[in-house]
Amino acid sequence: MSQPERGGPLLRVEGLAHAFNGVPAVQQVSFTVGAGQIHGLCGHNGAGKSTVVKMLSGQLAPDRGRIVIGGETVELRGRQAAQRAGVALVDQELSVVPALTVLDNMLLGDLGVPFVNRRRAAAARCRRILDDLGLERIDPDQPLSALGIGERQLVEIAKALGQNARLVILDEPTATFSDAESRHVFAAIRRVAATGCSVVFVSHRLAEVLDLCDVVTVLRDGRDVATGPAAGLTVDELITRMLGETSHRPSAARGPAQDPAHALRIENLRVPGRLGGFTLTAPAGRVHALAGQLGSGASDVLRALAGLHPGATGTAELRGRPVPLRDPVRAARGGVAFVSGDRKSEGLFLGKPSAWNLVATRLPALGRAGVLRPGHERRAARALAERSGLPGERLDDPVGTLSGGNQQKVFVGRCLENADVLALLLDEPTRGVDVGGRAAIHRLLRQAADSGLVVIFASTELEELLELGDVIVTMRDGRMVGRHEGDVDGALLMRDMTGGAEHA
Amino acid sequence: MTAETGAVAADGSARRWPPRVVTAGLAVILLALLLIPAVTTPRFLTLDNARAILASAAFVGITSVGATMVMIAGSGVSLATSQIATVVAMFFLGTQHLGLGAALLIALAAGVALNAFQGAVIGYWKADPIVLTIAGGFAIGGAATWFSGGTTVYPGARGFEVLNATPLGLPLAVYVLLAVTVVVEWTLRRTTAGRQMYLVGENRAAARAAGLPVGRVTVLAWAVSGACVALTGVFLASFTTSATVTLGGTLTLDAIAAVLVGGTAISGGHGSAVRTLGGAVLISVISDVLLLRGYSTGVQILVKGVLVLTVVLVVHVRSGRGRR
Repeated sequence: MSQPERGGPLLRVEGLAHAFNGVPAVQQVSFTVGAGQIHGLCGHNGAGKSTVVKMLSGQLAPDRGRIVIGGETVELRGRQAAQRAGVALVDQELSVVPALTVLDNMLLGDLGVPFVNRRRAAAARCRRILDDLGLERIDPDQPLSALGIGERQLVEIAKALGQNARLVILDEPTATFSDAESRHVFAAIRRVAATGCSVVFVSHRLAEVLDLCDVVTVLRDGRDVATGPAAGLTVDELITRMLGETSHRPSAARGPAQDPAHALRIENLRVPGRLGGFTLTAPAGRVHALAGQLGSGASDVLRALAGLHPGATGTAELRGRPVPLRDPVRAARGGVAFVSGDRKSEGLFLGKPSAWNLVATRLPALGRAGVLRPGHERRAARALAERSGLPGERLDDPVGTLSGGNQQKVFVGRCLENADVLALLLDEPTRGVDVGGRAAIHRLLRQAADSGLVVIFASTELEELLELGDVIVTMRDGRMVGRHEGDVDGALLMRDMTGGAEHA
Repeated sequence: MTAETGAVAADGSARRWPPRVVTAGLAVILLALLLIPAVTTPRFLTLDNARAILASAAFVGITSVGATMVMIAGSGVSLATSQIATVVAMFFLGTQHLGLGAALLIALAAGVALNAFQGAVIGYWKADPIVLTIAGGFAIGGAATWFSGGTTVYPGARGFEVLNATPLGLPLAVYVLLAVTVVVEWTLRRTTAGRQMYLVGENRAAARAAGLPVGRVTVLAWAVSGACVALTGVFLASFTTSATVTLGGTLTLDAIAAVLVGGTAISGGHGSAVRTLGGAVLISVISDVLLLRGYSTGVQILVKGVLVLTVVLVVHVRSGRGRR
């Protein structure tokens, strides 16, 4: 492998494209990263950031285009090939092992480690790399479990450097960090760049991107729309580039009757490490949207109310009656229905017929003295299928065989027309759902609100938030940032969600 | 109405093969296994032999029908079954002087309580069933040794001999096996709790997030299973007329084998009591044929092992394909 020319680009990406089942995720992306440069990659959900990262790290093969590293065109077939080419990926899913020591973790998965472990030499090298990163306080023999989440991420970066990476890709590394942790990580990243190693930094925290990066490339709809130096850019300019024509909602488009007597009152809801003091009153009849990126705490609000966070504290009251936290059975009895964002592992009973899934939470009401009445059950399932727009002939098919859109209709339909359900909480209600299904689900939620339910959903998609949310609450770092009613546009929400406010 | 009944009865276990086809296929195999030896083994098709098969399936069968419920509800298996049957047998014989009815009630209560307690630890505190029941098995086995002083427990009265009756030439245990199968099958298919067992077994995290009473359902499945183990213990005690700490013998693994041969998925969510009954009878038929043909006990156990392995592989491969 030849050394890159002094000052020349270390990484050149030319006309990269990738489609999933014919749906293009990345259409035309080109950019270059110089040696020792910190290069930011920004884009809204679905812009193609993670697909580009996957192609750079060997997890996906490009359909078109090429990747040139150090003057050589490379074909990365798998993460090991990427590692050999000098590309290391550090993503939000930590791939370090808490039970092992820092040193063991650094040796783990290193293709250059000889078969017989020479620990003393390895320890010395580990020490040197940690020192280079400014991590004198971390001892190689310390178990990783003794370190905080930020320091673990740093060990992962150190591991990448130990494997002679020339290009380190950081995919949303700070999503779950505190500010102090972020500062340490940034200092270390700058040191990495100073050694001549290039860094690609992917983040939705735009203020951080501008703070850290030398150059920023903005992706939109699978294309690179702008590349330029970060200096002189503002968060607002960045958001404008990310969104293009910003969707704007005229003020007072809707003013549905609200019903304060039938409200869900959340007071000082806390989840250690995820959510700090969240307070909101959501009257029935209006759809409330929690807008927040990964790690913002938006979905934690819903999970805590559904009783799925064992450490949650605070109070919640639904129609004047307290909703017990920390117990899903009692939360359901209190009138809370939760639609998880993870439909497969925490939502539906995939191997069971759609009919079973539709009536799963209302069995006692359909039976008598604990005995099911098949006729009643059948009629209820039919009515719910019709209500949620599910083809009736699919009722006996296992729900896992349905399309994503129809699965979600079953999931939402399960919570409708149920006298016990007073509040409907949905996490990413249209994740993995096609356009038609999405509109249908939005209609269902609107109808649910009109029929007097409290409806709260969490989402990261601006269009969905603007389309469906009567009241939009923006969140970041486990806190509420803003509350918007009526006149609001995507750029404003984005600024709240990504931390632009302090810099604006 | 028939379409509705069919839809409710369908357990949705197979994607490629509808459940009806699977059941039919199993029935065909069962028939083939009954017919081929019948042609080749002269003494096989006698009434006495049929009685012997049913009688030998009864003791294990009652326990395995109860264990089906635990497996469907996603709690895997209990490895403390033999020990509970032993303790129940000792209680039953040791309380004979109180009269048969009282002794029966005490025995049933002991079985239900011991199993329901384990079910509560698994259902409410998410203990691992294997680890818990290994520990539970040691504790209960120890208690049995302590209770009996390591010696044989003899009954104080002979009231239990009623249970060794053979109306119409069949042991009473066979009738109890059929009754238990009907009750468990009905509970699974037609009650709220039974449906919830299938749902919890299919996806426990989803059941929890939906607010289904996961803990209560688990306890109920274990309690019913405990009652079945107790019935087996009572019949074992009556049959042997005394109880030692080794009375339970290989009941634990025999019961699991019958459930698995019946095609219930060890991962939960699929299966039925009727299929377990089929599994228990099938094992007993095969043992019987091997016995009639003069094979040793070792071969019988070996064949049982191969049978379980085959069925588990088939069920596993099928459900594995279905999940993806």
